Amino acid sequence: MTIKRRLARLFALVRANRLERELGDEVRAHLELAEHDAIARGLDPAEARRDALRQFGGIEQMKEMHRDDRSVRWIENLIKDVRYGLASLRREPVFAIIAIAVLALGIGANTAVFSIVDAVLLKPLPFPNPERIVRMWESTPTGVNSTTALNFVELRRRLHTFDAFSAEVDVNATAEIGGEPVRLQGRRVSANHFDVFGVAPMLGRTFAREEDQPGAANVLIISHAAWQQRFGGDPRILERDVRLDGIPFRIIGVMPPGALDRDRRRPRMAFVSFWKPLALTTEQLEAGSHFLNPVGRLKPGVSIADAQLDMLAARAAIADLIPQWKKDWSVTVEPFDAVLIDGTLRRSLYVALGAVVLVLLIACANLANLLLARGAARQKEIALRSALGASRGRLIAQLLTESLVLGLLGGLAGVALAAALMRAAIPLLPVAIPFTATIALDARVLVFATLVALVVSGLVGLLPALRLSSASAAAALNHGSRGSSGRHDRIRRVIVGAEVAVSLVLICGSVLLFKSLMRLQQVDTGVRAPNVVTASVDIGRDKYPTADDAIAFYARLIERVEAIPGVESASVAGDVPLEGTGGENLRTPATGDTRLLVRFKRADPGYFRTIGLDIVKGRGFTRADRVGSAYVTLINEALAKDLNATFGMTDPVGQVVDLPAIGFNSSTVRQPMQIIGIVRNERVQSDLRADVLGIAYVPIAQAPMLWTKLAVRTQLDTAAIVPSVRAALREVDDRVALADVRTVEQLRELSLSGMKEPAWLIGIFAALSALLAALGLYGVVSHSVSQQQREIGIRMALGARSGEVLSMIVRSVLTTIAAGLVIGLGGAVALTRVTQSLLFEVSALDPFAFAAAAIVMSLVGVTAAIIPAARATRVDPTTALRSE
Amino acid sequence: MSNIDMSKPKADLPYGTLDLLVLKTLDTMGALHGYSIARRIEQMSGTLRLSQGSIYPALMRLEQQGWIATKWGVSETNRKVKFYSLTRAGAKQLHVEVANWEQSAALVARILDAKA
Repeated sequence: MTIKRRLARLFALVRANRLERELGDEVRAHLELAEHDAIARGLDPAEARRDALRQFGGIEQMKEMHRDDRSVRWIENLIKDVRYGLASLRREPVFAIIAIAVLALGIGANTAVFSIVDAVLLKPLPFPNPERIVRMWESTPTGVNSTTALNFVELRRRLHTFDAFSAEVDVNATAEIGGEPVRLQGRRVSANHFDVFGVAPMLGRTFAREEDQPGAANVLIISHAAWQQRFGGDPRILERDVRLDGIPFRIIGVMPPGALDRDRRRPRMAFVSFWKPLALTTEQLEAGSHFLNPVGRLKPGVSIADAQLDMLAARAAIADLIPQWKKDWSVTVEPFDAVLIDGTLRRSLYVALGAVVLVLLIACANLANLLLARGAARQKEIALRSALGASRGRLIAQLLTESLVLGLLGGLAGVALAAALMRAAIPLLPVAIPFTATIALDARVLVFATLVALVVSGLVGLLPALRLSSASAAAALNHGSRGSSGRHDRIRRVIVGAEVAVSLVLICGSVLLFKSLMRLQQVDTGVRAPNVVTASVDIGRDKYPTADDAIAFYARLIERVEAIPGVESASVAGDVPLEGTGGENLRTPATGDTRLLVRFKRADPGYFRTIGLDIVKGRGFTRADRVGSAYVTLINEALAKDLNATFGMTDPVGQVVDLPAIGFNSSTVRQPMQIIGIVRNERVQSDLRADVLGIAYVPIAQAPMLWTKLAVRTQLDTAAIVPSVRAALREVDDRVALADVRTVEQLRELSLSGMKEPAWLIGIFAALSALLAALGLYGVVSHSVSQQQREIGIRMALGARSGEVLSMIVRSVLTTIAAGLVIGLGGAVALTRVTQSLLFEVSALDPFAFAAAAIVMSLVGVTAAIIPAARATRVDPTTALRSE
Repeated sequence: MSNIDMSKPKADLPYGTLDLLVLKTLDTMGALHGYSIARRIEQMSGTLRLSQGSIYPALMRLEQQGWIATKWGVSETNRKVKFYSLTRAGAKQLHVEVANWEQSAALVARILDAKA
């Protein structure tokens, strides 16, 4: 076929109607002319007409040939079927709305969940060649740790497989912008930090090689977010200086917007404002404190295994520099994305995706059921078409096209729903989602939604299409208005039973997750005070150069805050509960080199009273425990137990242990400290599933620091007290910002992130699927009731009470529900391996959860069945009998 | 549905020759409507009995190839009707097809002669 004809045939598609009309006109004109001629030859009009028709030959056959030849036939049919499908949907708007809504729910939920799965798990990290970015850890016998300044510098010097190797430390700084103190989050990084991520500055430059050496000029790179929000997008930003903690820094670059802007640990609304060079001081190199987090970019073609070997070799070369007690520590190189996306997140996402696919399957089953029921009513129409010569293939194609129209309309509505869902849900998610993930309704997600819509169309349409098209024409035409056959009914019951089973699995999962969430919420954090607000208060060394200055600042602040009416007590400590704290090694003078890793927390005398930690033995800190006085420490009950286990210390109060005394200039010297008391346990780590850790508290006045946390206990509403606290702080020092203001409840909520979201998500999906299954049951029962109307009428006319009829109908559905429940319970048991890893202190085979899920599903199912059944029994017997 | 297969000509019209006959007719007669073309082919062929309707798919194919052009006109019975005429490309195509036909006819004739 020539190209010209192919084009002509395609063009014919859009002109199908006109071409058809023209052909009809031509045929009519032809016959008229032939008739005219025949009359002229002397035939009478009737004979002339017959003669013309005979000479012309089969008109319809010719037209079919014409149509086949003039255009691409299957496309023409498709267009016709789509039009027909749309028209038939318009004829039954209620069916159309229900069907599209059910599909929109299923496709929309799937699209929304997929957008998260895609952003977090499937897309590569938003950096060039992200597979070359790695994170390095020191591995200890009990886990992983940051590295020391000395190790970082010495290892970096010996690595061969890295293009760039940088260390980073999170820092905060108070900047004065527009006369107001603002606390900014930032990072101290090696000069080549941006080479690791392969990100170039948007304005200006990144750090030069020598700029991370001690004594270099104070330079600063700011993030796009900071540039826009803090500096109003000033185009001449590179000529500006900004004072951080009182020290002037020259802004040399602005990074582009994107993943680097976001805070890595608590991305909720927070962003990184600045990067400043990490200049390692001689003190830091000597101190041996593990505080650096190295990231690196591998050379092209280097595998993780190669990098690991390289790192181990470098570590072996510096073995002499490693203290004896850390000899069995090692080093680990891990892909950066593996650090961001841990197993729990991965599992949660796949479980959510699995759950939402189940919801979609239920939606499909429901729609297939609806189509079957509708098909029963359409059997006559189909039979007629088949009698008129439509082939079975042609009928299947037509019916499938109708479901395709439904699927695509449902998909369209689903995408709109997904957009709305994402707008509502994404602001709630960031805490649980890694900083690199940008969740958006992008082309990939739209392709996914389209594919889902297509698959759904096939799933939904195939069974009804096969069933309908196979119905014998004669049978259907004779069967008359009774429509559906018993076979239809059985299939529909099987489908509904499957819906019940799948819903049960989801309900069971969500009960388990909620029970687990409740257990987590009941975990004792140690904080017993109801109204506690915490906040960061950072002071600058420029104004507080000595330890005494800092201690005096704490004292003035506490005095002012406690003077606020409604405040019961206030305190200054190194960290707030649940937000982490540093670790140190504890030794005893008697046991030599044996070390116990303990959490190390600075606190003032009021800390324990403020958050409600009782001192169970000995005494608490006093104002007299300060720089210059004898070193003391308070331990928690967990540490008392650990001391007993490790050192056989049965009565720790009064004993002496060896802990680092941290000077105001970060210098650390190990000092003997006397244990003066034991306090009740407090949770310092945010993972509520983890064991309670042993903590050694030291008086903050013996280890003063610039960055502290204020805790305020009040009788009033916590929100109401914050302005007064801010005012009190301004009175003490108007250049210090009150930042990270959070109540203890909020801290607790934050610690539940990653646990809370899956529970709610699966809960919503379970509710949705139960609702859909109920709809399905409702449909089946009302359909079978309408089929049995005559029987019901006769029974009631013969004196059956409506209660008896009702129970007869409901009994017939109970089998379906019961079968669904049994299969569902089996499914839930089969999935325990998946669910167990997401549960806390709840068995995946928890009998309560299984029973609760079965009861809920039974109630939902029976209710859905009773409504149409009850309606049927209220019908007047004579009406029912006449309806046939 | 009729049992008589009328989509094919009653006398054996070699495959593809209908197109040639249509082109030739238009070449000789100028613009004609469908009925006249069918009548003309019937008259010229004498014995050949054509299902007249079968020229319409042929006309459509030739039009899509660009070998004939259509124009709306008015028939003897005062009806709007399509008139077909040969295009320049169609005239060229006719030459090609006539040549092809003669060549194959000569070939067949030679083979038949040889056998006889």
